Amino acid sequence: MTASTGRPQLKPGCRLSPAGDLLLIPEGALRLEGPACRILRFCDGTKTVPEIVAALLEEFPSADQAKVSEETSAFLVKLVERAVVEFV
Amino acid sequence: MRTAPQALIAEITHRCPLHCVYCSNPLQMQGSARELSTADWIGIIRQAAELGCLHLHLTGGEPLMRRDIEEFVRIGRQWGLYINLITSGFGLSRERLRALVGAGLDHVQLSFQDSEEAHANTFAGTKAHAQKLRVAGWIHEHRIAFTVNLVVHRQNIDRLEELIRFAEQLQPDKLEIANVQYYGWALRNQLALLPSREQLRSSLPVVEAARARLSGAMRIDYVLPDYYAKYPKPCMGGWGRSLMLIDPAGRAMPCHSAGVVPGLEFPNAATESLRAIWEDSAAFQRFRGEEWMQEPCRSCERKAIDFGGCRCQAMLLAGDAAATDPVCSLSLRRPLVDDLIQQASLRGSSNSQWVYRIDPME
Repeated sequence: MTASTGRPQLKPGCRLSPAGDLLLIPEGALRLEGPACRILRFCDGTKTVPEIVAALLEEFPSADQAKVSEETSAFLVKLVERAVVEFV
Repeated sequence: MRTAPQALIAEITHRCPLHCVYCSNPLQMQGSARELSTADWIGIIRQAAELGCLHLHLTGGEPLMRRDIEEFVRIGRQWGLYINLITSGFGLSRERLRALVGAGLDHVQLSFQDSEEAHANTFAGTKAHAQKLRVAGWIHEHRIAFTVNLVVHRQNIDRLEELIRFAEQLQPDKLEIANVQYYGWALRNQLALLPSREQLRSSLPVVEAARARLSGAMRIDYVLPDYYAKYPKPCMGGWGRSLMLIDPAGRAMPCHSAGVVPGLEFPNAATESLRAIWEDSAAFQRFRGEEWMQEPCRSCERKAIDFGGCRCQAMLLAGDAAATDPVCSLSLRRPLVDDLIQQASLRGSSNSQWVYRIDPME
């Protein structure tokens, strides 16, 4: 499964805090800044990365598509490395 | 205004069917007659969430010895906490695990004493290994995080590669290989448990090779015995800085072995508010910040990294809870630790002298 065709989701035992500003993980919590929590809300294992980018652009029509796409991918790669997101 | 504790460690009972020779519980335990009521714990868990805690660690003893643990999971989750269960797996059935997950359990940390059943049962003083294997299978029926905690010491560290291969078959998200740390029963049995420098050195490449081999499949944390460290561990993330522990009788403590520090009175969480305990109690203030520090900590640039190490260890080894943790290479008392290591290196590896952890009396 690769980041271009797979559908990202949070790994078991990783979830957003009730207020949505923290990602709770077994070792503690990661503080989510800016667009991070918006991206993660779409990571439910049903959407590909391009679909997530499209959904983000719908919320922010004036945003630059290339930039959103690049930042979303980079963010997800980081979370895969932290073992909190997986592609299915 | 101080920051909130990150986690509440709820030691809900000291009862345990296992008798591990390295148990970190204190030698003087709280019997079941002194345990807090269900309502007490519910009030404490709610207050912890209000205070800003993010995680609830349900531990013991064996936390599953309490019949009301499902209630604590449900209430904790209701209040937005992330729920960790730290268990031997004893007392769990497939149905009970399903109920706990249904109540909101996020993460199970399951301990193993060895890869070989006979060894494992010897270290635990109980036939517990086979049950743990069943529990590992049940955990995979649910979408929760799974950590295997494997305890290593001089009696099994030479078989580390075999231990890791065993853990791999259990398919946890993470393997925590924890060298015994010397508190409670482990300190009592230190002569039989402390590995030699050579044993420890040989274990490092084994862990490195396993990490490379298992990259992307299973993460491995390797906790070294701090006796061999150059600098001390930032014990509990610093005294009264990020964690609050409550023992089975309700005593609120900055650390599970804080009872060894003389002159500390621990407020009871069943009768005093968690916020008042965290912000104002003398016990939590005692080694908070840097005022209490002696040299070499006071002028050391690492004081904001390791907070002077472990207060309980300073007490246990140097007889002064405000001293620099004697494991620190900068401590004048470091020879105390070197002597212990030297003794461990000279001794053979066999042992029959150790004392099993006993269950607390009523």
